Amino acid sequence: MATRAGESTLDDEARLFARHLVRREPEAALVARYGAACARLFPAEPEATDLALLAFVRAHPWSLGPLDAVLALRRPQSLLRARLLVMAAILETTPAHAADFLPRSVGMGRLAWRLPVLGLVAVAQVLVGAALYPFARGRA
Amino acid sequence: MIDVIVVGSGPGGVNAAAALVEAGRTVRMLDVGHTDDRYAPLIPAASFTDLRRTHEEQHRWFLGDDFEGVPFGPVRVGAQLTPPRQHILAADDPRLPVDSDGFAVVQSLAQGGLGAGWGAGVFPFSDDELGAMGLGLRHLQPHYDTVVERIGVSGSLDDLTQFFPPSRGMMPAADFDSNGESLLARYLRRRDRLNETGFFLGGPRLAVSTRTHRARGPETYRDMAYWADPDRGVYRPQFTLEELRRSPAFEYVPGHLVHAFVETRGGVHVQTTDERTGEREEHEAQALVLAAGTFGTARIVLRSLGRWGFRVPILCNPYTYVPTVNLGLLGRAVADRRHGLAQLTAMLRVPEGGGRLVQAQVHSYRSLLTFKLMKEIPLGHRVSRQALQMLMPYFAILGIHHEDRPSDGKTCRLRRGGDEPDVLEVRYQPSDDEVRRQRADERRLLGHFLRLGCLPLKVMRLGHGSNMHYAGTFPILAEGSDLTCDLDSRLRATRAVYLADGSVFPWLPAKGLTFNIMANADRVGTVLARRLAP
Repeated sequence: MATRAGESTLDDEARLFARHLVRREPEAALVARYGAACARLFPAEPEATDLALLAFVRAHPWSLGPLDAVLALRRPQSLLRARLLVMAAILETTPAHAADFLPRSVGMGRLAWRLPVLGLVAVAQVLVGAALYPFARGRA
Repeated sequence: MIDVIVVGSGPGGVNAAAALVEAGRTVRMLDVGHTDDRYAPLIPAASFTDLRRTHEEQHRWFLGDDFEGVPFGPVRVGAQLTPPRQHILAADDPRLPVDSDGFAVVQSLAQGGLGAGWGAGVFPFSDDELGAMGLGLRHLQPHYDTVVERIGVSGSLDDLTQFFPPSRGMMPAADFDSNGESLLARYLRRRDRLNETGFFLGGPRLAVSTRTHRARGPETYRDMAYWADPDRGVYRPQFTLEELRRSPAFEYVPGHLVHAFVETRGGVHVQTTDERTGEREEHEAQALVLAAGTFGTARIVLRSLGRWGFRVPILCNPYTYVPTVNLGLLGRAVADRRHGLAQLTAMLRVPEGGGRLVQAQVHSYRSLLTFKLMKEIPLGHRVSRQALQMLMPYFAILGIHHEDRPSDGKTCRLRRGGDEPDVLEVRYQPSDDEVRRQRADERRLLGHFLRLGCLPLKVMRLGHGSNMHYAGTFPILAEGSDLTCDLDSRLRATRAVYLADGSVFPWLPAKGLTFNIMANADRVGTVLARRLAP
């Protein structure tokens, strides 16, 4: 059974992940749904590295983007990415956040500058994440 | 005594039963018949986009109450089966153990069988392709026509008609979405040059009712085919089962797993277990039609004939997914109205391949949800989401099918389980030549799509068995051993046991199999109805 402290940690994590993914606070129902999903999908005790990474991003929310980016290349099956995916799934299947996920038709002009900008952001995040990663996993 | 027992309610079972009942025969259908009673009643008849924008409970069926719709790890076989469709799979059923060398053995105990999650592609075999079974189009065409009427098929006559014999009674083709429209327009501009190199593109023939047909449809373009059947525009075998159940000549007996049959002088006895009580039962009829799916039928036949350890062939079309970006559509507005099935079909006749065909189905991607794609992209989730929002309307996902032929490396056998259930052992190792040929054919096909503006992003091979079109265990051959079928689909080792699923196809052309199973099952039912004592 989850402890009160464990639930609080998951609640914080849900809010952090939602802010990261869609730049908005999640409704209380989504925070609760995230907790239920984690209890159901990740019942086993996490590995020390995964625990350390989760603790690091909770303590340093700004590091979530870079660490997520570097884990996509180094450890795509990591718990941090798995939990981010769960939050993305929960947000996507909520009317309030549907517009953040439904496809958008964009003109060639917008596409031509937006995609390279996203590419630059992705590269920058990987570089920062690569520098952070040894430190973040070493705090276990 | 009833005339015929049919085992299984999938595409083969219901079409064999329908032919028998229409010919005035009495039929009992034995089936396990799992259904989705959890999610289907929750899903309103509305479009995917409207549900996403308005429905507060959508997470229940999109993700599942146990979050079973959130995938982790590599893409698995059957990943397109959403929570409301996951009852179709009998993956961990202890009654159906499997030992395989990595070949994906997907079994079903659901009402409608694997057909309950069918992609609805209708690809009749040609005269040449049927020739290997000792049959020809003259044998199958009447049954193709009957099944087209029974299930409701839409399509048009186009460049693909040379590959797919047309049927009377087809409905007008389903509308293309923006992806399909733009690709087809580009193909038509380059058609002569592409045709010279063996590449042909056209609208898919689909088991979709584009007008009201047998109280089903018309298709409403809500893009919910992966989740529910509210308008019943896309055919499912359960619809024919519903029609059959209205006939006094038909009896549906769900909750029964069939183990074996025994032939007697007077007919066939079928042994089952009642799921609810655990009691063994026996059912008797003049004849038996097995349509339990290729693996289900293999278990029943090999066990009934005491052929444990005996190897029979197994086939499954090799399959590759290739997500591409349709560059020609970039920056253009994309219409929301669409169905979720294949938008186009491509056929490649490999020039130096002696007439060898490769087929690709072109799908758009939307209603399987964005987060599942985010998982596959080696970027941070936020960047993936933003990129996918812009690019997803332009994705054209190719599903490439290759032909499959039997060889010594592709076999299955039943291992005696003693007190435990018998284990189906599957070994599937294609030759290096086959694999090389398939890779070369894929490169050629992708080259043609590149000329049409589809830029391949990734080639995804989920492994042998991944397309779930299993076949070839007891093939129809003009002459053969007692574990083959005669031209009427009767198992030669028996007097009155007929096979009406994928088991009987001696090879698999590069075309979806399901519609051909239906037509052959209708043929089996028709032949058997004539053959039985009045």
